[in-house]
Amino acid sequence: MGRQTLDISPVGRVEGDLDVRVEIADGQVVNAWTHAELFRGFEVILRGKDPQAGLIVTPRICGICGGSHLTCASWALDTAWGTEVPRNAILARNLGQIVETIQSIPRYFYGLFAIDLTNKKYRSSRFYDDAVRRFAAFTGKSYELGVTISAKPVEIYALLGGQWPHSSYMVPGGVMCAPTLTDITRAWAILEYFRTNWLEPVWLGCSLERYEEIQTYDDFMAWLDEDIKHRESDLGFYWRMGLDIGLDRYGAGVGKYVTWGYLPHEDRYQKPTIESRNAAMIMKSGVYDSFTDTHTLMDHTFARENTTHAWYDEGTADIHPFDRTTNPIQKNTKDFNNAYSWSSAVKHQDFGRLEAGALARQLVAGGKHGESWQHYDGFILDVFKHFGGANIHVRQLARVHEQVKLYREAERCLREFVLNDPWYIKPKEKDGRGWGATEAARGSLCHWVEVEDGKIKNYQVIAPTTWNVGPRDSEGVKGPIEEALVGTPIADPTDPVEVGHVARSFDSCLVCTVHAHDAKTGEELARFRTA
Amino acid sequence: MTNVLWLQGGACSGNTMSFLNAEEPTVCDLIADFGINVLWHPSLGLELGDRLQTLLWDCILGKTPLDILVFEGSVVNAPNGTGEWNRFADRPMKAWLTDLAKAANFVVAVGDCATWGGIPAMEPNPSESEGLQFLKRKEGGFLGKDYRSKAGLPVINIPGCPAHPDWITQILVAIATGRIADIALDDLNRPQTFFNTFTQTGCTRNVHFAYKASTAEFGQRKGCLFYDLGCRGPMTHSSCNRILWNKVSSKTRAGMPCLGCTEPEFPFFDLKPGTVFKTQTVMGVPKELPPGVKKKDYALLTMVAKDAAPDWAEEDFFTV
Repeated sequence: MGRQTLDISPVGRVEGDLDVRVEIADGQVVNAWTHAELFRGFEVILRGKDPQAGLIVTPRICGICGGSHLTCASWALDTAWGTEVPRNAILARNLGQIVETIQSIPRYFYGLFAIDLTNKKYRSSRFYDDAVRRFAAFTGKSYELGVTISAKPVEIYALLGGQWPHSSYMVPGGVMCAPTLTDITRAWAILEYFRTNWLEPVWLGCSLERYEEIQTYDDFMAWLDEDIKHRESDLGFYWRMGLDIGLDRYGAGVGKYVTWGYLPHEDRYQKPTIESRNAAMIMKSGVYDSFTDTHTLMDHTFARENTTHAWYDEGTADIHPFDRTTNPIQKNTKDFNNAYSWSSAVKHQDFGRLEAGALARQLVAGGKHGESWQHYDGFILDVFKHFGGANIHVRQLARVHEQVKLYREAERCLREFVLNDPWYIKPKEKDGRGWGATEAARGSLCHWVEVEDGKIKNYQVIAPTTWNVGPRDSEGVKGPIEEALVGTPIADPTDPVEVGHVARSFDSCLVCTVHAHDAKTGEELARFRTA
Repeated sequence: MTNVLWLQGGACSGNTMSFLNAEEPTVCDLIADFGINVLWHPSLGLELGDRLQTLLWDCILGKTPLDILVFEGSVVNAPNGTGEWNRFADRPMKAWLTDLAKAANFVVAVGDCATWGGIPAMEPNPSESEGLQFLKRKEGGFLGKDYRSKAGLPVINIPGCPAHPDWITQILVAIATGRIADIALDDLNRPQTFFNTFTQTGCTRNVHFAYKASTAEFGQRKGCLFYDLGCRGPMTHSSCNRILWNKVSSKTRAGMPCLGCTEPEFPFFDLKPGTVFKTQTVMGVPKELPPGVKKKDYALLTMVAKDAAPDWAEEDFFTV
């Protein structure tokens, strides 16, 4: 049987415009290319602007993870300016970020991912009719509830920042708000509402406490069998149907994973620096290499970008984002032997291509590296090992697993606020270089900023999807999604739902992958030097 | 049934996220209760690849009636007017827009990028972005000053970064229920019902504004954000403090200065050094005063207000 080439434009339901080319032989994908097809030039826009411009502009890079961009922008300036951040403010930033992610989980699962379980391909599955009742777009029982209730957690964001998306309430030195008892009480009530109306009865079919007892794959399977409510919950149902339709059989990827770590501890990061960041995070940073089963810490100095196959004329060497010059090719023709995407290929200097996202976070959470007081959770790593690596199904479980943990962290923030203590300590603006990072719902996000003569000299962003959706690098190594697509069975080339499953399992967000360049002149932009 | 096609150009998906926060009605209510049929949406639509391309062509060719075209994001013209830097469904997005705008009964621009060009169109505008019928305050934009949709209206502009979900749902429902004739548009084609009053209308810090009690630093429950922190609430047309955000608050209520994001000039002063979260003043008087207030009267007002201010105006007003 000959090879067939399939150009899918767009893949859709991946937040932004993702195009994919796959080559199919014998009903299986044997080669794949991912293209980011939008360019807005945010980093160029930021050059020469007020040092705080990033607080306004970068949340608008992505309306889905705007709070995550805002937290990166704030911490980057905090490290550049040498601020002191009061503990209330650290908690308020964390809470904003947490509720943004809690919002994202049902919105992503029902709105973007689970709809495909109602695809006609699965008509013969015994789960199909039930899947349609639950997950059909707009009218499915769980779809409607899940998408609607996803608006609730970000009401808490609005209590702190006035609105979600696109508030700029986090600023160097703290936050703009000083919530009252009313705000805190409402926030508690909103969390409770979310838990009692969806998280426990619909999603888990059990209490948070019962779910928290699950530590291993065997625990999970025992939980599933324990009660019909567990089996019939959306989580239990999804798990069983996913196995039935084979979502555990493809979509592996590169087998190495990255997280910057997130949620700085309110007592350990009040005088933030780039160097002290790793030890101050509640959720630890790291790289997990599944081939050697080892965990190591992640540091920003390990990051590299390669533009060999991207629409930039910047040579073929791997460079640190600090040293990146941004030199676009005007004519962005798709050329699969050369350049075919606006995304750069992001790498680790030692580990090469890495997958970012919820799976990466959970695999790193299962490592014993980092500080003794940092969060540890071995569940997803155990599931990963049970399946002998990643697949769509494991990636999906990891994506939804964080909810209970984040819910608990949100509760903790609310308990820890001391309402009459400071929320902001006015910093002194100064020149310098800063770095801020976090984990957006869909993966590792970081900002580098250099302030010179009281304005932004250079601003660089590496978003989660830049890691995942990047094109091949100088050695021809595929990006994580490209790699994950290889081996995907395609039942009907006129409706390649399987490609959608794989791409969407990464929860890609193409709107974020945009890099900067000067369209008018094509001039080389200012360098961002490390030394 | 009212067919809605929603596309994104140079977008961040923020208006979509805002739209999904809608509660009365919810996005699902729109479909179940108001007869709105979402033909396709980038985050919610079912079709991918060729199937979507067919759907789009069916709209263009009139096989599928296109009642409302909703556009989110800027129109990307780069490089050199070709639009190739924003390709969608195998064509430049602007090519789809040209064709679809001819077929649509109504065109609705949601958010600043689609209305005025927004952040992508900010200096130096690397993507050569513009709004559907405006570039900043200048009329014209991508479709031109004279563009009218098949129903005879210009592009209905729902600005904001993002647009408030209620602003979006109410316009969609107004069209779907045959009420759009009730909606008056202002000179920037914004529905007056949302954009006639100022952001300040309903702000809980209004008494501080009246008595000239300023918040000079962030993290305060008291004081007005206009005098020192660059708040544009008195000069910005929006209903943010009347139709609250996420049902619970607004930026100024929470302590964040209004950025004026429903006005074409957003982001103001192009975020040049010294302009972010700082009020621009001349001899202590704000450079920009609320519309209709004369400088001389403002000085007089300040004196009287300061004299008349009760002690509590300077205290932590919303105390714990």
